[in-house]
Amino acid sequence: MPELHIERIDEAVAVRADFRGGVVSPVAFRRQRRQHRISRVNARWIERSGRHPTFFFSVTDDTGDVYQLQLQSADMLWWLDTVTLEG
Amino acid sequence: MTTPTPRTVLHVDIDAFFAAIEQLRDPRLHGQPVIVGAGVIASCSYEARRFGLHAGMPLSEARRLCPKAVILEGHAQVYRSFAETIFECCREISPSVETFLDEAYCDLTGTDRLHGDLLEAARALKQRIRERSGLTVSCGLGPNRMLAKLVGKTRKPDGLARLEASEADAFLRDRPIEQLAGVGRAHAQTLRSMNLLTIGDLRVLSVEALTALFGVIGRQLHGRCRGHDTAPVHAREVPLSISRETSFHRDTADRGEIEGMLEYLVGRACRTARELDLEARTVAVRLRYSDHEGAEQARSLGTPSDADPVVLSLALDLFRRQFTRRVALHGVGVTLSNFASRVGEQGELFDAGAGFRRESLLRAFDDVRGAYGHGVLVSGRALHLKGRLAEDRHGFVLRTPSLTQ
Repeated sequence: MPELHIERIDEAVAVRADFRGGVVSPVAFRRQRRQHRISRVNARWIERSGRHPTFFFSVTDDTGDVYQLQLQSADMLWWLDTVTLEG
Repeated sequence: MTTPTPRTVLHVDIDAFFAAIEQLRDPRLHGQPVIVGAGVIASCSYEARRFGLHAGMPLSEARRLCPKAVILEGHAQVYRSFAETIFECCREISPSVETFLDEAYCDLTGTDRLHGDLLEAARALKQRIRERSGLTVSCGLGPNRMLAKLVGKTRKPDGLARLEASEADAFLRDRPIEQLAGVGRAHAQTLRSMNLLTIGDLRVLSVEALTALFGVIGRQLHGRCRGHDTAPVHAREVPLSISRETSFHRDTADRGEIEGMLEYLVGRACRTARELDLEARTVAVRLRYSDHEGAEQARSLGTPSDADPVVLSLALDLFRRQFTRRVALHGVGVTLSNFASRVGEQGELFDAGAGFRRESLLRAFDDVRGAYGHGVLVSGRALHLKGRLAEDRHGFVLRTPSLTQ
């Protein structure tokens, strides 16, 4: 398997998300004028270290790259943390 | 006279914890040998274990045995979040849950009327954990903690097993001596040299003989080899110790950088202690040199404390006494232990308000950090790290942030 390389992005991004059933699921996000459709939510977890929980998602986009997104519940801001690339 | 309700303990162990989370977060790692660790293996996937890899093995040896393994440094905060999700599931079925890094004991004594068949309740718990976290756990049900853990180990990964008290004797008798809780490598060597190879073999030794050989633990081993374990399940959130340690991004001998990191680690450890209302009696500082040599010293505080300046003063002294070699450091760590419940800081003799003011200041710091992340406030020597280390909302991004043990 080729080596995986994590690149930090740390950018606020626009995310289209589904909030049905009391569960939030990101569907697509826009970065650098390119829309990334999320083909799979790989994992989700919640951090409760601050006053407001932060929801984290590991997602795979339509090109197969894996991204980490977070939704900061205090201000409902989506943040793109990292992308994990092969090679 | 009523007979006491027989105890039932459920042991929940998260399978290949760190590695499983990394495989979950990145599906490309599914089916791959995955190692999480820096310097040594902290956790490895079952695919990696097929190559003989195990926790604690140096990474250099792991690379030699399994060159194709994917090695990741790990994400402590992520692992903590997953563990908390799993422990929340455990608290839904048991009034008393004792949690550790990657395992939990749930006391199910007397809950039969609530749950019905406890084996079914454990099966439902496994299912719930899988749905909420995506992870698998191995569970053991037994008449005490030791047997619950031991029987759970026989069905790893993703297994479930139950052991009745009446089956304990036969279950334990032929197991290797190393599997008995409290028998580490050194004790096992001693016992093997006496041709005591199985847990059953240990029963020939009297409690006096075992105590003479191993001290206090000898008495416990005398009971454990017979399947007796009276240790209760404490629903405590009190850790035995709070450790914060990290490797440097580059080995360093720069005292400013090392002391800055030490101050930062002390700050994080003390904040955790304050959150748990604990004051440490003992402070230890651990150094790892770039040539793999290590050094560690611990000392007790005059009065238990959770105040950063008090702990830091001792930590710096311990560091300066140990950092005597002309070799760069690979990592540094601080451990608080021997906790006392918090009673507040003792004031100065001639300025009784000083202790109170410092306590208020630290609490205010904690509130700000609780709301906006630890990294929002950095002070003192830790300012040396600004610009040298990446930061996220939790503070500096450390190479190997340890988890509270």
